[in-house]
Amino acid sequence: MTFKTLLATVSALWLATAAGAEEMKMAVTTSFANSGLAEILLPQIEKDTGITVELLVVGTGQALKLGAAGDVDAALVHARAAEEKFVADGDATHRREIMYNDFIVVGPSGDPAGAKAATTAKDAFATIAAAQAPFVSRGDDSGTHKAELAIWAAAGVEPSGDWYKAVGQGMGAALNTAAGMDAYIFADRASWLNFGNKGDLALLFEGDPALFNQYAYLPVNPEKHPHVKAEAAKALENWLTSDTAKALIEGYTIAGQQLFTFNAQPM
Amino acid sequence: MVSSILPLTLDAVELRRGGKRILGPVSLTLDGDGITIVLGPNGSGKTTLLRTMHGLERINRGHARWTGDADRVHARQAFVFQTPVLMRRSVLDCIAYPLRLDGVDRRSARDRAAEVAASVGLTATLDAPAQILSGGERQKMSLARALIRTPEVLFLDEPCANLDMASMAEIEAILIRTRNAGTRIVMSTHNIGQARRLADDILFLHDGRVIESARRDAFFAGPGTPEARAHINGDLLP
Repeated sequence: MTFKTLLATVSALWLATAAGAEEMKMAVTTSFANSGLAEILLPQIEKDTGITVELLVVGTGQALKLGAAGDVDAALVHARAAEEKFVADGDATHRREIMYNDFIVVGPSGDPAGAKAATTAKDAFATIAAAQAPFVSRGDDSGTHKAELAIWAAAGVEPSGDWYKAVGQGMGAALNTAAGMDAYIFADRASWLNFGNKGDLALLFEGDPALFNQYAYLPVNPEKHPHVKAEAAKALENWLTSDTAKALIEGYTIAGQQLFTFNAQPM
Repeated sequence: MVSSILPLTLDAVELRRGGKRILGPVSLTLDGDGITIVLGPNGSGKTTLLRTMHGLERINRGHARWTGDADRVHARQAFVFQTPVLMRRSVLDCIAYPLRLDGVDRRSARDRAAEVAASVGLTATLDAPAQILSGGERQKMSLARALIRTPEVLFLDEPCANLDMASMAEIEAILIRTRNAGTRIVMSTHNIGQARRLADDILFLHDGRVIESARRDAFFAGPGTPEARAHINGDLLP
């Protein structure tokens, strides 16, 4: 069974690379997994560090819960406020920014709500709400879901009603739902470019700085969970912030488009 | 002179959701002027038909075609929902919002919003948060927001549901003025009396299909189907 087949058939899974000398577990978001970047990074991580990284693919909220429970050694997620609380609560030793991509607004190519004419993300959302055009929300407490809710709040709209469908699923499944019903959806660019079932959907809005999507690495605090593999987590952090990682991250493209920008700073 | 986005032609339009047919096949042409009232029992497809005409629903078979390019078609029509989505801003800013999206400066947009608000009898609460409005006031605000760009075609989905008689009368008066000013109106309602008062034409839906299409007087004088007759008479259908 291929990596993509696994992603399509289960909502959360352990994704193991080939056996290595040391193993560690990292919770990552579905949007990161759907991007395909993991398949590029993991083999090189194992080659360079000897660490086999097992990924638990969930939403950001669930990823942080796994970290708080000590079920993983680190997390790579994208919801800054939740991440900072995670650190403040003592669940991670620190937060380190690694890379960013951006969110986009996708919808039916005919754009019945007129979202593409908006100049800001919040206006695009308000336009969709005013038209009560079908909108599919992740609804899963993921980083993407949190970012979507922040834009609704900025738009001054409490999304509810028949037009707003929270599916409680990962990015790929939510995109499939949107494609099936010609609905608008808030997605990360990587997942959108990797999505093979676009149907009549099209990218309608992009470029607002409010759509910036920062990924950060959070090593689980060994003082709180002594069993976590802190040394492996530190080695992985060093690799993720290295020039090798930068080259792989920024060299990863889909359809000729770079998906992520490396922005890790030296400690 | 601005060219019309009408006629709108639905050609054997069919919508299916979850393997079930929820509308169609429907073929009709919307043209001319006046008010078309869409009647039919619950679940007959009234809301879906309006949303489909407005372009909000995915069509599985057939075609819906407006006249003109997509941007102009979008800009020249508006929709008033049974339950409007309220934005957390003042009544005036809610009404002005479509103009702000068009790039109109805030002051001009608010001035125009105040004019439209006055035209629908909404004046006392313009600076209040939209959330505090009563049901009738919300629909007036929603109407004002829909009318601010002077749409050529206005869709309304049961705009008077849950309103008292006084509010309903005010909304109906606004709709008649809007029709007389040249806006083509398509509206669904459960209220037979309202249909008699407002309609120029009637579309009667049953089980997702338009089973009668007639001028108002002809429809009420002698509906051609047992379903429409029962609906008008308030009979219970098995």
